[in-house]
Amino acid sequence: MNSPDNDFAVQTLNLARKFGDLTAVDGIDLNIKKGELFALLGPNGAGKTTTINMLCCLLKPTGGTARIMGYDILKQPYRVKEIIGVSPQETVISERLNSRENLELIGRTHGVEAAELKTRSQELLATMGLASRAKDQVRKFSGGMKRRLNIIMALVHDPRVVFLDEPTLGLDPQARRAIWEYIGRLKKEKTILLTTHYMDEADSLADRIGIIDEGKIVALGTGHELKNSLLDKQTMVVQAQDITPQAIDKMRAKYAEVEATGNTVVISDKQLVFQEIVGLLHDAGVEVRSAYIKEPTLDDVFLRITGKELRE
Amino acid sequence: MRILALAIRSLKETYRDPLALGFLLGFPLVFMLLFGAIFSGDQLPDFAIGVIDEDNTVMSQAFTEQALPGVPVLSLTTYDDAGTALKDLKFGELNAYIVIPPGFGQQVSSNWQGAKADIVLNMTYDESDVMISEQLISIINEVTRAFARVEVPVTVNALPIHVENQIDYIDFIGPGIITFGLLILIPTSARMIVRDKEKGFLARLLTTPTHPVDFILGYSLSNVAITIAQILIFIFGARLMGMDIVGNLGLAFLIFFLTGLCSVGIGMVIASLSKSENQAEPLAWLFSMPLAMLSGCWFSLEMMPSYLRTVAFAFPYAHTIEAARGILIRGVGLEAVGADFLFLAGWAVAIFAIGIILFRRSMRS
Repeated sequence: MNSPDNDFAVQTLNLARKFGDLTAVDGIDLNIKKGELFALLGPNGAGKTTTINMLCCLLKPTGGTARIMGYDILKQPYRVKEIIGVSPQETVISERLNSRENLELIGRTHGVEAAELKTRSQELLATMGLASRAKDQVRKFSGGMKRRLNIIMALVHDPRVVFLDEPTLGLDPQARRAIWEYIGRLKKEKTILLTTHYMDEADSLADRIGIIDEGKIVALGTGHELKNSLLDKQTMVVQAQDITPQAIDKMRAKYAEVEATGNTVVISDKQLVFQEIVGLLHDAGVEVRSAYIKEPTLDDVFLRITGKELRE
Repeated sequence: MRILALAIRSLKETYRDPLALGFLLGFPLVFMLLFGAIFSGDQLPDFAIGVIDEDNTVMSQAFTEQALPGVPVLSLTTYDDAGTALKDLKFGELNAYIVIPPGFGQQVSSNWQGAKADIVLNMTYDESDVMISEQLISIINEVTRAFARVEVPVTVNALPIHVENQIDYIDFIGPGIITFGLLILIPTSARMIVRDKEKGFLARLLTTPTHPVDFILGYSLSNVAITIAQILIFIFGARLMGMDIVGNLGLAFLIFFLTGLCSVGIGMVIASLSKSENQAEPLAWLFSMPLAMLSGCWFSLEMMPSYLRTVAFAFPYAHTIEAARGILIRGVGLEAVGADFLFLAGWAVAIFAIGIILFRRSMRS
């Protein structure tokens, strides 16, 4: 069975997985284009890792199937495994090997030639800033370093499709930014499926985002498209002093949602006019310090669709 | 290449872990030292002496039946010919034997009557323990002088021979401790596999084109290397502590090697049945420590009730110890340990087969 040549690197066809009575993945249909960076965004327990595990042939689906570069995960698992690279959610490395040995181990299981493997390992370690520690046992590494190694271990055999399961989980902002930068550079060369529960991660990296909740894809599109879906509602945040109850009542009479806490007033409605609000507050004797119209975030998108916060 | 890569990785994980390494190699050596020290008390040795009376006079009979038995530390056996006595000496059942030459009675009688005649005795002894042989020579000298009533020393024609198979405690305990070292492979090999399973390492490698059977062969290969290193180190250690090796070392190695494979197989079975390292380790120890005791790693099985012996001999280790003692101490060959050899080989094959089936099944879930 040859791979049917189409534009999709990853296709899932009603992919589902149950664990007993629990439905972890509930019939997902995804089409990820070759060269695309696709983010699966959702809270913990939404079914992201289960989906990844099925796509990399670790877990058998209980319904549907998927194709990676045209190879069926059920019928041709070893063809699939040859062309994918996986960075699991938990950092899985061999603690008493050094970083190069860890990379080479994965490379050898893929049958990469020794000379090529050496060059590629060196390159990857250099890009991830690990070259100076290449000979240290990785158990001495910091969490961020281990995480970076965990990611390049998915790349050492030059896979065509890369799965990154929560690549920056538990990292400090600086380490996260370094990894984002690297993933950004990979974007043009490989098809990447990334899972995350950080909306900023999905927003800044992904070509397209699928929002997943309770095993279902509830929204799909570019970050821009998803946020634009919220343009029927605007939110303005005002910082002010001497906010009186009278002023708040005045605002409530005019706008759909008004919330005041301390020196902050948050106003939401279909359409907001900046000057109008500032003027109204000024007339009510409130001294406005700052005010801005808040751009919708993916968090807001998620909240709108599911009625839940992304981060619980 | 894939299998080799996995095996090398497992080996590195082991030899770069001082604790694991110390455990695998150091623990049995500590036992060896301990047992060697505990059972090497300085008791006054009882000398086993053979006597061959070639003189056959009243005087020589008086010497062998009254004078010599009067010495408390001598335990005497009478022989008709020197050949049998020599054989027993070589088998470690005698420390020495004395041949009373013709004319001995005559010489003693002359002395009793005041003449100063030379007294000659021939003694053949094991020179491997200098303490024993020197004490013996002086004891025999003393008792003969008293008996013959002479002042001058008796001529003891001493014929030292070197006896290799003097069995002391380290010779007896050596094979048991080596076997104990191989038993430790059960928990260590189980831990190696379960840890990889628990930490997601197996899962990660299963996203590569690695087949489950590659893992099994990789682990086995690394454990085989560990087993070989263990056996060599233990034999060397036992040798340093004074264990005499008379038999075919290659044959002993083969017996130990099959035993190591059995341990690795058992470890694989335990690893397949356990979900976590916390589960596998106690399980493995619970299995291997009583088995070590039961198999006679530290004690002789002679005093054990027969139903326990039956249990012990259903597992490889009692066979190993018995066969290894036969080879190393008594110098027996394949014909004597053939049954043990076949039993061990069969056990290794069977437990590996079971291990592979269970491991594959555990990978699928």
